[in-house]
Amino acid sequence: MPLYFLRVSLEHLSFRIPELLSIAKLFEFELKILSTDIYRGVIVIEVDKDEYVERILDRGVLVISVSKLYAEATNYEDLHAQLKEKRELFEPDLDACFKITLECVNNRPLDKRYRQVVEDFSWTELRGKIDLKNPDIEFVVLEDYDHVTLHTRQARLDRDGKFQKVYFGKRMGFSRARPVINVQDIKQRAFYGNTSMEAEMGLLLAGQALLIYDPFVGTGSLLYAVAHWGASVIGSDIDARQFRGKQKGKDVTPGIFRAAAAYGYDQRFLDVVAFDVTHGPWRRGGFLDAIVTDPPYGVRAGAKRLGKSTTRKRNTLRDEPYQFDDGTFAHERPGYLPPSKPYELVDLTLDLVQLSRYLLVPGGRLVFFLPTVNDDFEHVDVPVVEGMREVKHEDGSLQDFGKWGRRLITMEKTATDDGPMPTFGDHSELTEERLPGHHQFNKRYLEGFKPREGGEGSEETSEAEEQAPAEEMAQLKV
Amino acid sequence: MLACHVRNCTKDNFPLAFADVELVVKPAEENLDFLRRFLPKLDWRALVDTARSLGDTALPDDMPATWTDEQLQALHHVLLEIHVEEGKMICRGCGHVYPIQNGIPNMLLAEHEISR
Repeated sequence: MPLYFLRVSLEHLSFRIPELLSIAKLFEFELKILSTDIYRGVIVIEVDKDEYVERILDRGVLVISVSKLYAEATNYEDLHAQLKEKRELFEPDLDACFKITLECVNNRPLDKRYRQVVEDFSWTELRGKIDLKNPDIEFVVLEDYDHVTLHTRQARLDRDGKFQKVYFGKRMGFSRARPVINVQDIKQRAFYGNTSMEAEMGLLLAGQALLIYDPFVGTGSLLYAVAHWGASVIGSDIDARQFRGKQKGKDVTPGIFRAAAAYGYDQRFLDVVAFDVTHGPWRRGGFLDAIVTDPPYGVRAGAKRLGKSTTRKRNTLRDEPYQFDDGTFAHERPGYLPPSKPYELVDLTLDLVQLSRYLLVPGGRLVFFLPTVNDDFEHVDVPVVEGMREVKHEDGSLQDFGKWGRRLITMEKTATDDGPMPTFGDHSELTEERLPGHHQFNKRYLEGFKPREGGEGSEETSEAEEQAPAEEMAQLKV
Repeated sequence: MLACHVRNCTKDNFPLAFADVELVVKPAEENLDFLRRFLPKLDWRALVDTARSLGDTALPDDMPATWTDEQLQALHHVLLEIHVEEGKMICRGCGHVYPIQNGIPNMLLAEHEISR
C-alpha cells in the first residue's frame, strides 16, 4: 500500500490520531499509522488509494496537508541516495509544470538554504516549466525539527538545517476542512455568548450522523460545526436566554437561528427547546443518531437543574402554586423562572450517559467533554453504564490546560433496546469510594486546583469525628 | 415527540394540543432517507391529529404501508417545515400551558410541578 505523510496541526496533539481513525471508519477504509512518535508535526500513514487521501483532506480539521511519500531520511545525502534509486517515481512528472517547496515544522528556513535545497534536486532532470504560483505538480521537502525555545537570533540561525528528519514527496493537497475553523470563528459569528466553544473543537466532534442532539446547547457552538457536515440538529438548554439572545419581542429571530442562517445552516436547525434535561419531556427514546455536548462545568456559567438549592432559606419545593394577593399565580406571569439548584458534575455526567442510553438508536454515539483535574484523573472516573461502551484510542484525547484539562469521551450504545427513562436521582454512591477527578470541579477551579488532602480531606475527618462520638453514645446506651 | 412531564401527570399527556398558534413555513433540507428511518418512531394518530389541528390535511388517516415520494414529501413538510412561531401547547391531562415564543417552546416546569 502506498505511504503518505501528513503535516498536522501542533495543537490538540492527542486528538489527531483519533480524528484520522474516525475518518477512516466513517468512509470505511483501512488506515495504518506508521509513525512511532505520534506527537510530532508529521505523521506517516498507509492507505490503499489516493481517493482515501481525498476523504482525509475533506474532513481532517487537524490535518494541514497530505503528500505522497517518496523517501524519508535523517540527512540529505541519504535522502538523495534513496531517491536516486527510485528514479522511476519521477518518470510520469518529468514534463509537468512543477515547483519544489521546502517546509519546516518548528522552524523557518533561511532563504539562502531554501534555494540550495531546491537546487540540489537538479539531478532529477525535471524538464517541465517551473511555475511558483500555479504548478501542476508540487514536490515537498519537509524538515521536521524538535520543538525548542531559542532566545537569540544567532541560536535560531545556527539551528537551521539541523532537523530530526526530512521527508520528500508529492503534494496531494491541502485540508479543505481546516479553513472552516476560520469560517466558524467565534469572533465573526452573528451571535455568541461568553462561554462559546472554539470552532476547532466543535468541528472535531462532528460525525456522520443524521440527527444530532445537544442537551446543553448554550449558544449552539457545537451545533454549527455538526450542521456543517450535513446533520440535522436539535438542542435544548435550561436557560433559554442563552440561545434567544438579548433582543426580545415578537418577530425577533432568536440568536441561535440568526447565527445558523449566517452560516447557511438554518435549514438543518430543526428545533431548540427550553427545558431541564433532568425534567425533560421526551415521549420516547431510541431516535437520535448522536448526542454531542460540552456540558457546563459550573465555573463561569453555572450548571443548573430544576429544584431548590439547600442553601436557600426555604429549601423545599412548594406543593401548591404560589398565589399573589391579587389572585394571579406566580407561574402564570410572563418571565416566570422556576427555582433551580446547582448540578454537580459527577451527577451530570452519569445522568448524561444514562440519558444517552435511552435516547440514542442502537450503535448511536455520545460525544462529550469531561473537565477534570489532571492530577486526580483516573480512567475509572468515566461513568460506566450498562449498554454503553467507551470508544477510545490509547489514553484518550485530552485538551490540556496545565492543571486541568478537558477530556473527550466517546461512547457507543451497544444495547439494542431503549430501556426506561433514567430517573436522574442522587448518585452520591459514586463519590463514596473515591472522588472522581471532576468532583466539585468549579470549586477546585476557583481554588487553583489545590491538592485534595488539605481541603476536603480535613472536612471528611471532622465529619467522621462528629459521627464517632454519636456511635459511642449509642453503644453506651445499649 | 414531546409529552407533558408535570409531576403525577401520566394520563392523556400526549400529544400536547396547540392553541393560539401563528405558523411559519421554513424550508428545510429534504432528506427522505432520514424520514424513512424516523417513521417507526412516530405516533401516527397523534401526528395526523396535530397536523390537522394546524390546518394541514395532506396526511392520510392510516400510516401507509409503502411510501411514495410524494407522501414522504408531505410528511417532510409537516414534520420539518411547519414551525409554530408563537402560541401555546396545552396538556390534555393536567392543563399545563407551555408557551412558544419566537419558535422556541418553553418546557420548563413551575415549582409545584417538579417531580421530587
